[in-house]
Amino acid sequence: MINKEVYQDVIFETIGRGSTVIPQDVRDAFIRAIDRETAPDARTGLEKTLESIELSAVNQRPACPDTGWPLFYFKVGNNCVLQGGMLELEESARQAVSRATEKGYLRKTMKHPLTGYDPGNNIGMNIPDFTYQFVPGDFIEITYVAKGGGSECFGGTRSRVVAFADGVAGIKKFVVDSFIDSTRSGAICPPSMLGVGIGGTANIAANLAKEAACLRIIGSKHPEAAIAEIEVELYEALNSLGIGIMGLGGETSVFAVNIEYAFTHIAGIACATSSNCMVARRATTRIDADGSVEQLDDPNWFNGR
Amino acid sequence: MADYHLKSPLLDSDVEQLKIGDVVYINGPAFTCRSRLQRYVFDEGFELPFSTDERNVLIHAGPIIINEAGEWELVSFMPTSSIRFEKWGARSVEEWGLKLICGKTTMGTATAAMMKEKKCVHITPCSVSPNLWSDSIRVEDVHLLEELGSIEAAWLFDLQELGPFIVDIDCWGNNLFDQYRSRVDAKRDEAYKKLDIPEDFKYTKLYG
Repeated sequence: MINKEVYQDVIFETIGRGSTVIPQDVRDAFIRAIDRETAPDARTGLEKTLESIELSAVNQRPACPDTGWPLFYFKVGNNCVLQGGMLELEESARQAVSRATEKGYLRKTMKHPLTGYDPGNNIGMNIPDFTYQFVPGDFIEITYVAKGGGSECFGGTRSRVVAFADGVAGIKKFVVDSFIDSTRSGAICPPSMLGVGIGGTANIAANLAKEAACLRIIGSKHPEAAIAEIEVELYEALNSLGIGIMGLGGETSVFAVNIEYAFTHIAGIACATSSNCMVARRATTRIDADGSVEQLDDPNWFNGR
Repeated sequence: MADYHLKSPLLDSDVEQLKIGDVVYINGPAFTCRSRLQRYVFDEGFELPFSTDERNVLIHAGPIIINEAGEWELVSFMPTSSIRFEKWGARSVEEWGLKLICGKTTMGTATAAMMKEKKCVHITPCSVSPNLWSDSIRVEDVHLLEELGSIEAAWLFDLQELGPFIVDIDCWGNNLFDQYRSRVDAKRDEAYKKLDIPEDFKYTKLYG
């Protein structure tokens, strides 16, 4: 059994790390982008962002003041036993979000959608959000994602239903148009990790897009060759647009295009895109049945990618 | 493109020299503003509780600021998307006498027109670098903290070389992001072609 104190400490630490330490795959993508950037302003922007990212890890300060929606992804072993059970895990996560807000790791961002009421601790109706996946084993892996306001609601999330008659061309056009729209008017902070969800119900497509944007590491590929090929094609096509860092022009507009799909109804293909901020906030920790704790670079949410 | 190190309060002459694409660093008094403050003043009819006469630089931002032993400490700051405040942009420029708005990306046509008329510019960050900016900001005071909460409150800053930012709307009617938009649009067809999307592709009309 995994003791409550152990997972409570892990959740708090994972939130703090998620907000302040940008994952290595993202930092590596910055270095590659700086190397190939030819536009001076874009190069400066990439360099200054990376410099700030490095400092945030050292100073234990949020890498971006928009600490976003607090999202938890729990990969739970089928034989994992948590002291207090799953409800205690969720309550501990809520308390950890509140504590992390008090400590300044998270901004007081979550508010009532109609009244504007701000409890000051990022806790409220259906927030934080919990997503579960069950796998063989007796461990739990806890991933915290801080999904930025611009990247999530301000143009970064788009959806449409594509008819089978419009096929792959219709899906690709939707992705290109969505991304161009989302980079206008300050909607998102590119270069993005662009997630694309194809198929399933509308919410399945949207969830897949968000998880593809936030939980796959840069450089990962979809295991099916046909999907992986579209990922590369879209990556190259979007980077040829010259949108660049913060939409100010440059060589790199996306760090990655990650596609996930679900089987769909013969009626049509729900498609969704979701962008993740270039300052991508995510952290994962594994707790084994014996209570040992390990920080992981890769959430491995999609089993191998 | 030139570099400018501006000192607030800004004069018309400070603003008139700026062109889109110029790089700007700001010094002196400024204040933060988000929609809740603008609604409080323009929709709910309250007075702005401080003068903008000597503080004509507005920053769209929701910083993280904590109180450490009675002192305000800025934890993290980043300009946020300006377009969401378009509803009150023109009135803010006119009634508060703004000379500079700092925010992410751009504003809409109504604000831009007022900026041209009243001599005001909009500047945008080319990076997300809060940890490089925090040393350039001294928190002087805060208004409406209880009423609006810490993100939406009006924080009064004293700035030292805060930047670099890029001028994206100048007071001569030019908009840098409109230019970029045209450039990206010009490349859109090429991207479709790379992706084997037929030139005459049209979506099947599924709704209404």
